[in-house]
Amino acid sequence: MRRITPALLALAALALVPLASPSGYLLHMLIVVFLYVILAAGLDLVMGYCGQYSFAQGAFYGIGAYTAAILHRDLGLDFWQTLPLGVLSAGAFGLLLGIPSLRLSGHFLSITTIAFQTIIYLLLTQWTSFTGGQYGLPVPKVGTLSLFGHELFRIEKVREFYFLALAVMAVALLVAWRLATSRIGREWRAIHDDELVARAIGISVTRDKLVAFVASAALAGAAGVLVAYYLEGVSPTDFSIWTSATVVAMVIVGGRGTIFGPAAGAIVFTLMPEVLRATADYKLIIFGVLMIVMVIFMPMGAAGLLRRERS
Amino acid sequence: MALLECVQLSRNFGGLVAVDKVDLAVEAGEIVGLIGPNGSGKSTLVNLITGVVPVTGGRIRFEGHDITALPSWRIARLGIARTFQLLRLFKSLSVLENVTLPLQPRMASGQAASAFGRGRAAEEDRAAVAKGRELLAFFGLVEFAERPPTALSIGQQRLVELVRAIIVGPKLFVLDEPAAGLSPPNVERLIDLVRRMRDEQGITILLVEHVMKVVRELCDRIVVLDYGVKIADGDPQAVTNDPRVVEAYLGGGREQPHARG
Repeated sequence: MRRITPALLALAALALVPLASPSGYLLHMLIVVFLYVILAAGLDLVMGYCGQYSFAQGAFYGIGAYTAAILHRDLGLDFWQTLPLGVLSAGAFGLLLGIPSLRLSGHFLSITTIAFQTIIYLLLTQWTSFTGGQYGLPVPKVGTLSLFGHELFRIEKVREFYFLALAVMAVALLVAWRLATSRIGREWRAIHDDELVARAIGISVTRDKLVAFVASAALAGAAGVLVAYYLEGVSPTDFSIWTSATVVAMVIVGGRGTIFGPAAGAIVFTLMPEVLRATADYKLIIFGVLMIVMVIFMPMGAAGLLRRERS
Repeated sequence: MALLECVQLSRNFGGLVAVDKVDLAVEAGEIVGLIGPNGSGKSTLVNLITGVVPVTGGRIRFEGHDITALPSWRIARLGIARTFQLLRLFKSLSVLENVTLPLQPRMASGQAASAFGRGRAAEEDRAAVAKGRELLAFFGLVEFAERPPTALSIGQQRLVELVRAIIVGPKLFVLDEPAAGLSPPNVERLIDLVRRMRDEQGITILLVEHVMKVVRELCDRIVVLDYGVKIADGDPQAVTNDPRVVEAYLGGGREQPHARG
């Protein structure tokens, strides 16, 4: 409970931001941060806790987004209906990717996830009749949520969407946190440390890994539905390998296996290019150098450093 | 019927026969020692029994059920616990989490209930913590419960490994060189603990050991392997005087066998 208090305070502070009537630009940046926090916290489950390196978080993000867009186009479903369905379909694809992970480890698994990411990206760009190809698909505004014909609230402006994104992020972080600190989280850490011994004490390593893949993908799916409705459209470029690699960098720099470390990494990596706008041309170089420096000098990330100082 | 029964058990690594048609039976309540020179196949035999390494030939039965092809986590859940030759604790879990982890797969409530629910799952988690603390206290380790295992001495880490194995109340406990790296007083303590596990909790023990003192003082029966073949099986006195055993250890001669390594 001690450790969750700062997180609650941060969420409360974020909920107050729109009251200070900030610029639309700030709200926009924070919404992008929220999306990446969901992606990074989700990836942390499979990567930081379970120790399985996945470069496919961008693909699951895309699967969530396109699920929302396609279900709207073909069945006319709205945000509230596609949010759970996007989570489910991304989770199902997570299961699909998780199955080969039972036989692979280390670099081989990473390469498989890159292949998966690439296949999804190719499908999004090339299967034009289904996905709209490079042009993508339009998505409407979230609009009103009605219950029994009674309008509960309306989400049209950025400021309103901000609260929605904040709420989804809070729920996603709570889910990730509960998983990470419960039995399955301990089993993931044990698998990460020593898979053979984990098996020898009776842990079903295979099943636990699958759960990690599914949970991680499902959270990315939630972020995907959100971004589709936020941008009022989907296009493949948002879901390429660069997105996946950026999320991996967020997790590593923030600190693997801490949930809040990767969330902090998401904030840094989203805001840094804005702050250093003059250096935009060197963005990837700066990211790369930062990654190398972190891996060499702080392999457990910023959160790992904090933890060490404390103990 | 023996608790554990290996029939003509074999394992090849390429052209090397690490374990060669070994017959081994362990009766319930026995303490059986498994000895042999370095590279004689002891650890491979343990890995075969616990499902860590797949079998090339032969059968393994536990309580009469064939467990030859089962994965190691299923074998563990049937009631065979083990320790490893080198210390293998989970270093990112606390000492308490290390010892309570084996209880988790045996709980009635599911993992989802533990993450999102209350009630029964929380109750079981609390019971596991209480049991872990109780056993740690018995071994004089309770003050380290929240620390990482790396903060403990080698001897203490060995004890944590023992707690992690016995917390589930295994029927058979396989110890792979538990005395390695222990100081003489700790070896005495270990001998006492292993004996009490059998006497007080009825755990059957298969003990792989280099330290002869441990084997001689503890074991009801000793099995000797040499180049993967069983060369002796009997009471400690007879086995340690067996000329073939003496030869395996010393390459011939009439002295008592001493431990190598």
